[in-house]
Amino acid sequence: MGMSVGGGGVKAEPNVTPMIDVMLVLLIIFMITVPQINAGFTAVPPQGQNLKPHPEEDGDQVLGIDDQGRYYLNKRPIRNEDLETLVRDIYGQEREDYIMYVKAHKDLQYLKVVDALDVLSRGGVRVAALITEQAPGTESLVESDRIIGSGGGK
Amino acid sequence: MGMSAGGGASSLNNEINVTPMIDVLLVLLIIFMMIVPMSRKAIDTQLPDPNPQPVAPTVVPDQIVLEVLPDDKYAINKEPVEKAQVFARLKEIYDPRPEKIIFIKGDTTVKYEYVIWAMDQSRGAGVKVIGVPPKN
Repeated sequence: MGMSVGGGGVKAEPNVTPMIDVMLVLLIIFMITVPQINAGFTAVPPQGQNLKPHPEEDGDQVLGIDDQGRYYLNKRPIRNEDLETLVRDIYGQEREDYIMYVKAHKDLQYLKVVDALDVLSRGGVRVAALITEQAPGTESLVESDRIIGSGGGK
Repeated sequence: MGMSAGGGASSLNNEINVTPMIDVLLVLLIIFMMIVPMSRKAIDTQLPDPNPQPVAPTVVPDQIVLEVLPDDKYAINKEPVEKAQVFARLKEIYDPRPEKIIFIKGDTTVKYEYVIWAMDQSRGAGVKVIGVPPKN
C-alpha cells in the first residue's frame, strides 16, 4: 500500500494501466500463436547434439510424418499417395534450393522415413534436412554450427 | 494514523501495486517471443539421385557405410561396433580422412531415433556430408 509521496496528492508514478493492457494482449497473442504453429500435426522429433541451425524462412517446405506415419505437407494433412505428385509440383520447377525439411516422429519405424525420403528423391528433392531437437544442455561439437547458432542467423 | 476509506484527503493510495505483475508479464512475453522463432535445427542428408547413371555399379572402395542394425547394434563397413565405441571409431576414421562423407544405412525395422543418433554421432566426428542410401 504505497502512500503517495509528499503531500497534496500529487502522484509521480506513471499510469501503467494501458501498458499492462498492451502486454496482456501481446501475451495472449503469443500464447495462441505458439500451439497454432503445430496445429493438427503432432510429432516429437528426436533429440540430438550436433545439429545444424536452419533458421525458418518463407519458402521452406516441411514434410511432417506423425506417429502413425501420416504425411503432412506444410502442416496440412495430405494423403500419403499424393506426396510424390505434390513434391514434384514444388521441386519440378526452377528453385533456389532443393531442400526439404522432414519432421518425423522419433519412434517411427525407420522404414516409414526411408519410404518418404525415397519419394522425395524421386520428386526432385536433393537435400532432406531431418528436423531434430537440440538435447537440453548440449552444444554442437561442430564449430560452424555454433557460429551460426550464436551469431543469430535471424 | 487512521486509514479512513472515504474523505477527500489523498494521503491514502488505494491503487493496486502492479509493478511485480508487469515484471512477470514482461518475462512471460519475452519467453514466448523467444519460442516462436526459435531457430529450427536439423541434420542435412543427401538423397540419392533417382536416375542413377548406368556407370553407377562400381562401388567406390573406400566409402564408409555406417549401418544401424536392430537391437541397437551398429556396424561400420560390415564390421560390428559397440554403441559406446561408435563415436571413437568414427573419429579415428575421419580425423585423417579428407573426404568427410558417410552413408548411413538404417535397417528398416529400427526406430528413426536410432538412425538420427547415428547421424548425430557422425556429424560430431567430423562428417560433413551424410548420404542416405535408398531402400533396396
